[in-house]
Amino acid sequence: MAGLAEATASSGKRRWILIAIAASGIWASVSLNLDPALLVPGEGGLAVLSEFFSYALSPATTYQSIVPEGTTPLAVQALLAAWHTVQFAAAAMGLSLIGGITLGFLSSYSLMIETRRGITRVIGGAVYSVARLTITLMRSIHELLWAVLFLAAFGISQLGAVIALALPCVGILAKIFSELIDETPRHAAHAAEAAGASPIQIYCFVLAPQALPNILAYSFYRFECALRSSAVLGFFGYPTLGFYIAASFENLYYGEVWVYLYTLFLLVAAVDLWSGAIRKRLALTR
Amino acid sequence: MSKGLQLENVSVSFETTRALEDVTLHLEQGEAVALVGLSGAGKTTLLHTCNAMVAPSAGRVLINGQDLSKLSASALKIARMNIGFIHQDLSLVPNLRVIQNVVSGRLGQRSLIGAARDLLFPADDVTERVYNILTSVGIAEKIYKRTDHLSGGQQQRVAIARALFQEPQFFLADEPISSVDPVRAESTIALLTTLCAERNITLLMSLHNLKLATTFFPRLVALRDGGIAFDKATDTVLPSELEAIFDLTESSPVSEEVSDFEDRLGGRFG
Repeated sequence: MAGLAEATASSGKRRWILIAIAASGIWASVSLNLDPALLVPGEGGLAVLSEFFSYALSPATTYQSIVPEGTTPLAVQALLAAWHTVQFAAAAMGLSLIGGITLGFLSSYSLMIETRRGITRVIGGAVYSVARLTITLMRSIHELLWAVLFLAAFGISQLGAVIALALPCVGILAKIFSELIDETPRHAAHAAEAAGASPIQIYCFVLAPQALPNILAYSFYRFECALRSSAVLGFFGYPTLGFYIAASFENLYYGEVWVYLYTLFLLVAAVDLWSGAIRKRLALTR
Repeated sequence: MSKGLQLENVSVSFETTRALEDVTLHLEQGEAVALVGLSGAGKTTLLHTCNAMVAPSAGRVLINGQDLSKLSASALKIARMNIGFIHQDLSLVPNLRVIQNVVSGRLGQRSLIGAARDLLFPADDVTERVYNILTSVGIAEKIYKRTDHLSGGQQQRVAIARALFQEPQFFLADEPISSVDPVRAESTIALLTTLCAERNITLLMSLHNLKLATTFFPRLVALRDGGIAFDKATDTVLPSELEAIFDLTESSPVSEEVSDFEDRLGGRFG
């Protein structure tokens, strides 16, 4: 009977939590003055919207303005911009993987604390705390904010842009990697410990392999995010898709804008197909 | 220095529960002993004290004359390399290949780089050793298969191969046949006892199946409520003694608490 009373009490608690979540959502919307009526565009706005979306079905095949002889054709320009977008994203992702794996090690509970005894447990705990703090700091500033900072410090610098993209990504990857590995079932780790394996060996060769499919899937997802951010870097003058999107948008050449948007869409879709194929090969089940 | 495995007046308490009570047991080098008893009689706890995964609250466990509780971390690591353990849940890494699971048996004997090499680019002689061991357990052709693509019985053999790869002097097996059908169970026990006899490995195995225990082991140790009920040559055990062990009415409520303790043991990394 006591068990039933307890279960009933906990379901009552759950109801109050749900009510509190709903109430805070409503309070936030009201205090931000989120009036749905404001979403109805004015006459001018409606014209811009309908013109913009009308180009979705008929993106430009050539530049919408008169360009000098010998200008790179629009399609080639879009591909070049896509290529630069991939370059920045790939360079940032490479840095992020190195940093993410390194900091992931240091911020992993199972490696730094769980399997340690005595003084190494104290040292491991200290390293763990510093690493956790570091990756939280890295994550709390958005890549575009980092980009603005570096732009102010170094001017247009490709290395600065790549580092700006990589910094928060390192923090996110380190967090996710360490947590994925920490959540791995411990049967095999237990067995390896019983056979004399060291904590770092257990971590690298028993726990990490089991988390590898998820780690790969997540890395691909982050690569997708890096592609998007890399495209937006163009707004600051880097030669990625965002640069051309901004330029065409300012000139109201919506046909061109759609060419670049579709290119970005194809890029992300291609990464998705690629990661899907690899994940299928590594799937845990048959 | 005396060879073999000795438990001297070992007791294990967990909070308020006594899992083992004053157990004294001696296994000569090369001996094969079956540990029988009901679930919760303390079989798993006893096996775990033998490789120091559980520390006795009283008494001593000696491996080749060395008291496990007196060993430094590095000496304990060396002692553990000498003990192959076959776990109830097999404890394999499902998404690694068979060869990778087998070589992980000797992680304790390898440096970090050496271990990485064994797993990713094993030397020819390592591959050959794995192949020979897999041949002896009858699944040589599975060497490059992913472990989770194998049947339960085949995975069992991978776990045995991994323990053999350690080249241990001792084999501890905790219900190694709990996940296979009766026919495979018999052949697995036959295989394990033969392999250990050939290699002069000391074997201590817990078994639910009394028929297999009496068929394949010359000596039976029966546990009841954490203590030894009898320890005899198999052919001198009386049917009435076996009945007493497996008579459910004689078991005390300790069994539930002990299996709870064993659950927590399995999850102590979590």
